[in-house]
Amino acid sequence: MTERTAVIVGGNRIPFVKAGGAYAQASSIAMLSAALDGLVARFGLAGTTIGEVVAGAVLKHSRDINLTREAVLGSALSPHTPACDLQQACGTGLEAVIYAANKIRLGQADTAIAGGVDSASDAPIVVGEGLRRALLRANRSRTLPQRLAALSSLRPADLMPVPPAVVEPRTGLSMGESQALTNARWEISREAQDELALTSHQRLADAWDSGFFDDLVTPYLKVTRDGLLRPDTTLEKLAKLKPVFGGAHGTMTAGNSTALTDGAAVVLLADRGYADAHHWPALASVVDAQVAATDYVTGEEDLLLAPTRALPVLLERQGMTLADFDVIEIHEAFAGTVLATLAAWEKSGLGTVDRAKLNVLGSSLAAGHPFAATGGRIVATTAKRLHQCGPGSRGLISICAAGGIGVVAILEGC
Amino acid sequence: MAEVLYPDLPAGGPLLLRSLVRVGGRPRRVSALPPTVVRVRGHRQDVARLARYDEVCGYTLRDAVSPTWIHVLTFGLQLALMSQRDFPFGLAGLVHVSNDMTLLAPIHVADPLDLSVRASGLAPHRRGATFDLLGEAQVDGQVVWQGRSTYLARGVAVPGEPEPRMRAKDPGVRDSQAWRLPADLGRRYAAVSGDVNPIHLSALAARAFGFPSMIVHGMWTHARALAALEGRLGTTYRVAVDFTKPIPLPGRVGFAAQEDGDGIRFAVRSRSGTACLLGDVTHP
Repeated sequence: MTERTAVIVGGNRIPFVKAGGAYAQASSIAMLSAALDGLVARFGLAGTTIGEVVAGAVLKHSRDINLTREAVLGSALSPHTPACDLQQACGTGLEAVIYAANKIRLGQADTAIAGGVDSASDAPIVVGEGLRRALLRANRSRTLPQRLAALSSLRPADLMPVPPAVVEPRTGLSMGESQALTNARWEISREAQDELALTSHQRLADAWDSGFFDDLVTPYLKVTRDGLLRPDTTLEKLAKLKPVFGGAHGTMTAGNSTALTDGAAVVLLADRGYADAHHWPALASVVDAQVAATDYVTGEEDLLLAPTRALPVLLERQGMTLADFDVIEIHEAFAGTVLATLAAWEKSGLGTVDRAKLNVLGSSLAAGHPFAATGGRIVATTAKRLHQCGPGSRGLISICAAGGIGVVAILEGC
Repeated sequence: MAEVLYPDLPAGGPLLLRSLVRVGGRPRRVSALPPTVVRVRGHRQDVARLARYDEVCGYTLRDAVSPTWIHVLTFGLQLALMSQRDFPFGLAGLVHVSNDMTLLAPIHVADPLDLSVRASGLAPHRRGATFDLLGEAQVDGQVVWQGRSTYLARGVAVPGEPEPRMRAKDPGVRDSQAWRLPADLGRRYAAVSGDVNPIHLSALAARAFGFPSMIVHGMWTHARALAALEGRLGTTYRVAVDFTKPIPLPGRVGFAAQEDGDGIRFAVRSRSGTACLLGDVTHP
């Protein structure tokens, strides 16, 4: 069998907006469909059978067991296009791209679409355990008296719904509180975090102004640009914000932490030969990837620094160093996450990242972070940037996720 | 040695309430503990109760049960022993100060258990006297679990001078977890453990017993801490804890743990950083 290469053909996302905003009425399926529709239109995929569509959502309704397949069935893609839901917290989007690329390289698919969606506005609300158990008992009952007995065990408190919480189940700490511990451990200053946030906004604004996203984003529900972007923010404005995590003397604010966001992003992948034969562009190839996890539960390691474990393995396997990359994308869960990741890479001897190559087109602090959609946004952005840099240019993507998971991947410009 | 054999585990609630109201008639000076052993043979564990216990304590429902679950099973026997006519201490005023358990072999939910409890270790304490309730669980004649619950009886005099005790050491690291303790936690734990001591059930009752607010069961805190270490405990181990401060309900506490060559040290701390429970897991 000839060597197969998985290439990124292109991507599409909808503008990301703050939760409770313009997409408050849109479900995950609706947003994923919107991202998919834009991709289908851009590449003329109507009626095409794609090898597989893989996507996921972090905040997922139980009714959405076949989220991706349902979105495919509602799209103009051939109904013979199979689909798969995949979930790895904030690593979902990138892991979906890796899954798709691996299938293409193994010859199990010629084409694939990978991505993710999240709606923090339309998050599932769960009924309390008492009500849930009473309903399940009533459902199992065979007679009316049994059913009534099951329901009579209900107390008023059981009827209160349980809102979703972005809290690690095993530590009881929100992601922000966990990052506050990391910031303290790695001595990340407020000033450094605010500077990173400012740079993210400036670079994303520049990228929008220069038209970089013209072929990567499709407007949705009258939104044409990322809603969280603050092109006119300044260090002074950021410095005035009150700490939201880490107590009264904390360094984390709404300005240097990502906001709850709604959005969807997808990426089109193909075998290099297939792309060439169909006159599809090839922006970048997926070279390799690595996933790893940290022992964070009892505080031995940091929740969001698993890329520190993944990267050395990946670089070793590829015989590469940090200096070999032209583009480095570290997902900005929090400004502190990026700064702690850089510090940890440095400490473990992987080298220093040239900040001029880091998140050159802005990242999650400015764009927002709809959990499962972030991977697709970063992959499409990086692939296009590498294509601009030229063949052989190298890009590194690093994404941290809940549960102490981290995913890193290498792309090479075509 | 006197032995009292029960057909199955005595229900904790009625015994506890009887013990609480039986305040008068207890001696203020105690020189020995009765040698009685209370026992149950072939106890079949209740899966539904285990499921409720695991849920309220944060354990994953597994066939291999936790040592704190075995403690809970022996709690009714502890009360039965203390309600014997010749037992010198009533439950009212007793403080559970420390607990020490060894899981000698994995215990599964399907194992029929022979459980027993006896009293031992009467010792002077600067605030009264302490004694131990020694529990034992056997499966097929093999000892699989041993427990020692140390209680303080305030204001009781026993012969001798108090000796300083070794306390569990603080892990010396910052909190890595935060637990939110809802107001009904004491009632939920009481329902699965049988420990219906009113200080855990309502603020009014707690005040009547001299506490400013409801407090959570020490054995809940112990179980929750062990659940937090699930996955790094191994199949057999010894776990010892000191209950150093009551935890008010509702509330929020932090959890810290540090693993070293000797085992795992852990602490549950109040928001101000005071240790409420200190413990360690070792592999003897």
